[in-house]
Amino acid sequence: LRAGEDKITVRWGLNQSLPAGTDSAYKTIKVQLCYAPISQVDRAWRKTEDHLSKDKTCQFKIVKRPYTTGNQTLEWTIERDVPTATYFVRAYALDANDHEVAYGQNTDAKKTTNLLEIQAISGRHVSLDIASVCFSVFSIISLMGFFFVEKRKGRKAQQ
Amino acid sequence: MEISSTITETEPQKFALPVDSEHKATEFHLFSAAAPHMRAFHLSWISFFSCFVSTFAAPPLLPIIRDNLNLTATDIGNAGVASVSGAVFARIAMGTACDLFGPRLASASLILLTAPAVYFTSIASSPISFLLVRFFTGFSLATFVSAQFWMSSMFSGPVVGTANGVAAGWGNLGGGATQLIMPLVFSLIRDIGAVKFTAWRIAFFIPALFQTLTAFAILIFGQDLPDGNYQRLQNSGNKQKDKFSRVFYHGITNYRGWILALTYGYCFGVELTVDNIIAEYFYDRFNLKLHTAGIIAASFGLANLVSRPAGGVLSDMMAKRFGMRGRLWALWAVQTLGGVFCIILGQVGSLTASIVVMIVFSVFVQAACGLTFGVVPFVSRSMDYICLRSLGVISGMTGGGGNVGAVLTQLIFFKGSKYSKETGITLMGIMIVCCTLPIFLIYFPQWGGMFCGPSLEKIATEEDYYLSEWSSKEQGKGLHQASLKFADNSRSERGRRVHSQTLSSNATPSANV
Repeated sequence: LRAGEDKITVRWGLNQSLPAGTDSAYKTIKVQLCYAPISQVDRAWRKTEDHLSKDKTCQFKIVKRPYTTGNQTLEWTIERDVPTATYFVRAYALDANDHEVAYGQNTDAKKTTNLLEIQAISGRHVSLDIASVCFSVFSIISLMGFFFVEKRKGRKAQQ
Repeated sequence: MEISSTITETEPQKFALPVDSEHKATEFHLFSAAAPHMRAFHLSWISFFSCFVSTFAAPPLLPIIRDNLNLTATDIGNAGVASVSGAVFARIAMGTACDLFGPRLASASLILLTAPAVYFTSIASSPISFLLVRFFTGFSLATFVSAQFWMSSMFSGPVVGTANGVAAGWGNLGGGATQLIMPLVFSLIRDIGAVKFTAWRIAFFIPALFQTLTAFAILIFGQDLPDGNYQRLQNSGNKQKDKFSRVFYHGITNYRGWILALTYGYCFGVELTVDNIIAEYFYDRFNLKLHTAGIIAASFGLANLVSRPAGGVLSDMMAKRFGMRGRLWALWAVQTLGGVFCIILGQVGSLTASIVVMIVFSVFVQAACGLTFGVVPFVSRSMDYICLRSLGVISGMTGGGGNVGAVLTQLIFFKGSKYSKETGITLMGIMIVCCTLPIFLIYFPQWGGMFCGPSLEKIATEEDYYLSEWSSKEQGKGLHQASLKFADNSRSERGRRVHSQTLSSNATPSANV
């Protein structure tokens, strides 16, 4: 999957096997793109913490909508600032105070199955590459130019 | 110091500042840009500043770069180590380059040769390319040596310490300014419409262009010596050759040089380390916005505006009353307190407390850098500081030691995920306190050390200490004369009580050799 180009389709809905009335507190649904464990290794800025206010697993918002019963679908174009990593999708149900009261995700509890691999944009452009090379070459050549002028001045002074 | 008398010269040169017989300025006028002295000062600190801006331009943008290049904490740590390790050897080589080509060409060459590394940061695409650009950009920190060398050529004894201290302090300021500038430039470019992962790349052109322009300014407006550019190759080429090995030998066999290299590693080295990690630390630990973390991180480096020069001033004040022993005590006390505040910084958990402790920590650590270079000039007379001839071996060793400290500290505490950043900071503080203890071991026979007074035995005068570095053959050639003069001048390092006794025995000032 390529950031900025490809789309993913997300489907969510309440688990029908749960007793009726479980979703009485749900007011909003927040669907997020979250880092899989493999992309969290040696990266403390993506760490999973139990305390949700400190948790950094899910850093990208896909959509936030009012909760409705029944299944919902969304087609989402992956945004261009999503980095290269392995992800899964998680949906949080929020109550009226914007606190998370329930969640669901497209992977298992260990976050190992059904993961998404996203390839980021490089951010590089041909014009940038050319500018970098040109300025670098200019620096070196101007240094050589200055040395040349110094030598000429030195030779003139000796004559 | 005598004002230049022009009896022997056919064309009397007029300088904007009062000068001595070598045409070195005897006064330091900060708000003047008069050629050649103050102009050299301003060119010097601005170019050194730009090198600091470039070397530490990446850290405040790391939260963006790490996602774009898919870096792990280990990659970031390695790049941080690389950014300060190049200068270890570059600083030692720079002293030689200044001797051979003059500080003007040496510094401008280094700056223009490292500018491509900054331009190429814009096109880095992997952890390895990121590490390489940071490594080569870091070489530019060797401009510290050329700046000190240039100041020593332009300013004479009483003001050279101030010139060097302000030039070094204001150069180090770049490490703080860049934490402000880069996030600002990044936001500007992103708001114009570029995507995050492109905006940071464009932002790097700013420090790169700045660096290139300062090099041009040095080449166009600067000159090596008050009288003109380097023609000393003709004058002292031969002399230079047969002195190098002796000077080098005396430099590296002086144990005080090694101790100062170690302790400088734990004030300046710590400063470089903090420049590398502090923005990310505040961003991640307190969930701040990128430019807020940048502002806080900047205040660490910006304290250099006054703290490093203040360290130099404190050293001189202590020397007036207590001589060299005062300088050593002040250095030990200030640097140890810096270590204590570093330990506290790693322990505090609230944002406000962290900021306050960090600022106090920065003042002490940077003052310690200034205090170190209050002692360095007196360690060996064969080391250049006031006279132009020699190589600055101990200055290069100390400067290089600073970078080694930065390398070691980042390798041990800030690489990978072994320690959290706050634990790393606390452990770094403990290491500062431990590595400052060797100052107790510094002992000058003629002035004493921290716990012992001056020796009553044979090598107990300034002349004896500095003359012991010259063999009798060299003394026969008269090569030691400058050392004798320095020994005379350095008698003030005995402190107030003893100084007045020796004054009466020096009736006439010695003629300039």
